[in-house]
Amino acid sequence: MSLELPTTIPLQAYLVLAALLFCTGVWGLINSRNAVRVLMSIELMLNGVNINLMAFSSYLDGQLIRGQVFAIFVICVAAAEAAVGLAILLSLYRNRETVDMERFNLLRW
Amino acid sequence: MLSLLLLIPFGGALLLALWPGNPAQGRMRTITLVVLGLQLAWSLVVLARFDPGNSAMQLQESLGWVGSLGLDYRLGIDGLSLPLVLINGALTLVSAICTRDIDKRPRFYFALLMVISGAVNGAFLAENLLLFFLFYELELIPLWALISIWGGTNRAYAATKFLIFTAVSGMLILGAFLGLALFTGNADFSLAPITSEQLSMGSQLLLLGALLIGFGIKIPLFPFHNWLPDAHTQASTPVSVLLAGVLLKLGTYGLLRFCLGLFPEAWVQLAPALAIWAAISVLFGSLAAIAQKDMKRMVAYSSVGHMGYILLASAAATPVAMLGAVFQMVSHGLISALLFLLVGIVYRKTGTRDLAVLHGLLNPERGLPFTGSLMILGVMASAGMPGMAGFISEFLVFRGSISAFPLATLLSMVGSGLTAVYFLLLVNRAFFGRLAVTAITDPVVHGRLDVNLAAVAPRETIPAMALAIGVVVIGLLPAGLGRLSETAATAMVQLPALTAALHGVALPSGGLG
Amino acid sequence: MTLIGAYAVVAPTITSLQLNAGAIAPEMAVLIALLACLVVDLAGEGVASRWVPPICYAGLLSALVLLALQWDAPLEPSFLGSFLADNLAVAFRAVVAGSTLLSLLISWRYVESSGTPVGEYAAILLAATLGAMFLCGSTDLISIFISLETLSVSSYLLSGYMKRDARSAEAALKYLLVGSAAAAVFLYGASLLYGLTGGGTGLDAVALALKTSETPVTALALVFVLATVAFKIAAVPFHQWTPDVYEGSPTPVVAFLSVGSKAAGFALALRLLVGCFDSFETQWKLLFTVLAILSMTLGNVVALAQTSMKRMLAYSSIGQAGFVMIGLVCGTEDGFSAMVLYMAAYLFMNLGAFACIILFSLRTGSDRISDYAGLYQKDPLITLGLSLCLLSLGGIPPMLGFFGKIYLFFAGWADHQYLLVVVGLITSVVSIYYYISVIKMMVVKEPQEASDAVKSYPDITWSVAGMPSLRTALVACVLITAVGGVLSNPLFNWASATVAGTPMLQRAIASALPVALG
Repeated sequence: MSLELPTTIPLQAYLVLAALLFCTGVWGLINSRNAVRVLMSIELMLNGVNINLMAFSSYLDGQLIRGQVFAIFVICVAAAEAAVGLAILLSLYRNRETVDMERFNLLRW
Repeated sequence: MLSLLLLIPFGGALLLALWPGNPAQGRMRTITLVVLGLQLAWSLVVLARFDPGNSAMQLQESLGWVGSLGLDYRLGIDGLSLPLVLINGALTLVSAICTRDIDKRPRFYFALLMVISGAVNGAFLAENLLLFFLFYELELIPLWALISIWGGTNRAYAATKFLIFTAVSGMLILGAFLGLALFTGNADFSLAPITSEQLSMGSQLLLLGALLIGFGIKIPLFPFHNWLPDAHTQASTPVSVLLAGVLLKLGTYGLLRFCLGLFPEAWVQLAPALAIWAAISVLFGSLAAIAQKDMKRMVAYSSVGHMGYILLASAAATPVAMLGAVFQMVSHGLISALLFLLVGIVYRKTGTRDLAVLHGLLNPERGLPFTGSLMILGVMASAGMPGMAGFISEFLVFRGSISAFPLATLLSMVGSGLTAVYFLLLVNRAFFGRLAVTAITDPVVHGRLDVNLAAVAPRETIPAMALAIGVVVIGLLPAGLGRLSETAATAMVQLPALTAALHGVALPSGGLG
Repeated sequence: MTLIGAYAVVAPTITSLQLNAGAIAPEMAVLIALLACLVVDLAGEGVASRWVPPICYAGLLSALVLLALQWDAPLEPSFLGSFLADNLAVAFRAVVAGSTLLSLLISWRYVESSGTPVGEYAAILLAATLGAMFLCGSTDLISIFISLETLSVSSYLLSGYMKRDARSAEAALKYLLVGSAAAAVFLYGASLLYGLTGGGTGLDAVALALKTSETPVTALALVFVLATVAFKIAAVPFHQWTPDVYEGSPTPVVAFLSVGSKAAGFALALRLLVGCFDSFETQWKLLFTVLAILSMTLGNVVALAQTSMKRMLAYSSIGQAGFVMIGLVCGTEDGFSAMVLYMAAYLFMNLGAFACIILFSLRTGSDRISDYAGLYQKDPLITLGLSLCLLSLGGIPPMLGFFGKIYLFFAGWADHQYLLVVVGLITSVVSIYYYISVIKMMVVKEPQEASDAVKSYPDITWSVAGMPSLRTALVACVLITAVGGVLSNPLFNWASATVAGTPMLQRAIASALPVALG
């Protein structure tokens, strides 16, 4: 490995942090009634993934830094997803005047 | 050569479907009659070209179709399938002839009739298991439509029941075919070499069991017969003729061709149980028929009983019994078609089929004397009176089976006796006695019997007459049909006999006494 | 560190920068059409509705031609190994492009009558196609993710395209939330795989790393990635979004989702499971056996109870996916060819059915099954087309679907997947029942029993803009469904050639052979 590894913090620490973030996201996804909060929870999950990717990238893949490239793609796509999500939510809000997940029951869930 | 037996009816159906404009019903019926007549004529040509001394498949045709599936277009005919093809040609023609004045959608009706005829021909001629299955399934939807569109009041129920039973039977058959071809590892679905001997007895029995249940539903045999009486009672007369005369034969044909023909070893093992099953089926059919009040249901249950003879004969697997089975298929085709036709006439004239209401129809002036006479003849044939087709087939079946399975054969003979009982009941109640002078209205069954029945036009009884003549001719001169099928029947049982000899099972030998 | 570090490999040096961009020429054609649609859309409604359809046809047809040229071409990984145009990719991309073409043909009238801009609709649908086509050939975690999201995000937009319809927006939101969550789960699995390979994202590198590691983390990554695959092909129990999305979304979109998106999902499944997770073969096969059984059973049984046509087809598509999974689980030559064949057959029979449903809903505004009662009298074309397509979906001869289904069962049985085949046989009987009940509604019910929708059926006219193309698509699909079965040998050969021209599948078949013999 040509790159100097930051040995003070072990890789596992980052992975645990990422796992915690991801789990928080999952928990929020399941428990939120507000659709905006659900979107935010998904963002949290993606950020957990990003931490994973960055950590692996700097520890294992110092030269090609594929992980960092991957992370940038994830951020871009997440932005697009959020934009689309909010747009759909807006149009739904115009129709129904609510963002409560429990009340989106025109279709049997 | 044989392909024309498929092309004529399918082409006819297509022609009728695409016939320009909106032709009158009579015109469409004429087209159908011409097409089906051509088909019958062509099957007679096939008969002329057929060599009865040869037990192998004849007039073969082969064409690659889907190689990766092992599905070839291969047709052939032998002494087992030829009589059935003839019966199919004759009975579809009869059912088209006796279709008069259907109240709706004649174009669709006649097209379906021809499709069924072609599909049945295909199934009888197919020399590839998948090809047989294809035609077997092909006949399913048209018949479902025939029952559910032109049926009686409760037709939706009966048609759905028919559909589900037959679809299940199809799936069982497909599973068994796949199993046979692939357990042996050669992915070959052609009929010719018997490969089941490579399998362990356990898997042979499993596959044979699936096939037996599959065809048992179609035949139908005792616990799987439930759909038949409903289908018959709801179907119109021509469809009943077709169903009883032709489509049930698909099941018995499958029983002989695929169960016995492909699994001789396992068949020998199962034969005693099958004989008992046959006897139960015969007795059940007969007893259930006695309990019926509806003439059509009674005839339908008699089919369940009479189909049991074929299982008995094939269980015994002696040359005589096999010949009896072929005879029974032909004679049951003719006789049940005749009975359904006559019941249809009675129903059309009186508006009821209820035996509690019908009485004294033989009355020469106000009743249906000619129909009644034909009915008595049909009933006698069905009960196995000498001189008619039923006698020959039952005699051959019992003669061929009694040494192998005495008990089952005796029980089946009792069933045959019961046939006489319930058909005498039918004739006695409906035709004998005095036709009432004033109209009877029965409050219990809501049936009503007029006392002055419209006369039956001769053209209505012509199909029935033709069938009755056929029944008598086969009864008096069985040699023709016998010569046609004898070689095939003998060839068919050679394998079971051979394996039986190998396994030290004593199988009775019988000659054509 | 020990966990991961052991698999760290020295980063490969880039020896040649050959992009080999010709491999994505079909996608480029679609992309150009997409951009052209957007540009034309700027010129105003009238210009757009006139020019957008021909642009789309040109793009998709040239994509199909370019795909045909790629058939059996020498294999060169393109874009540094993130895309591979093997025959598998070509076949599935053709199915995707074909499904888009047919969905577009049947959508013009629907979109115009809903009063939404045509150009935008076509552009988004083409974007989804682009994503699905890329997905079929992606061989790198990053490119898989990007194309998956291109497909998904466009699909969300499509399913919410009827902005004024609350149900459409609700379907879109549900689809979006579930889909993004699935994508996040996939990403988490992918990030773990990236770590396991020690810094490689190509599927080859992942496969290599998986061969030498069997840690709990590997299993976790596997489960996460598989869940996403199962979500994409709507296998039970990852199917809950399907009925809602299908019911709420505009019908032409559902047509695309049910075929194009699903085909891409199966291509992804093949790439990941067969090409990448072959060292976990027993595990994923077991998992997919269970998923297939659940999908066939639940999809077909629940379809019985549906009253909405679209919802019924949604559940039937879950069941159909279960049938296709039989081929996936087999992992034999026949199994893979059967999958390809069935997807191709499914393209025509399902889109044919959707074309009929769209036509019916355009004329009556209903998609309730009971509203089809007595239709034969008023509209023989829909009755005939829908009947044939449904019979084909039910596997009744001599339709195309019969041959496809029998091939799947044949392959499954040859590979000793008895349980799957038996469940498949039983559930096809169930499926025949509910397909027949629709046919019964249309064909058997007499004029006096006809529904109000049919009684007040409008006069049939084809002169309105968009209707001729709908009719073309309908007739083409129905014809291929009806006649294609009898003439299906070329299709079978094509499916076998697809498998033969895909090195990844050949390797899997070769590695499976000793087991099969032994």
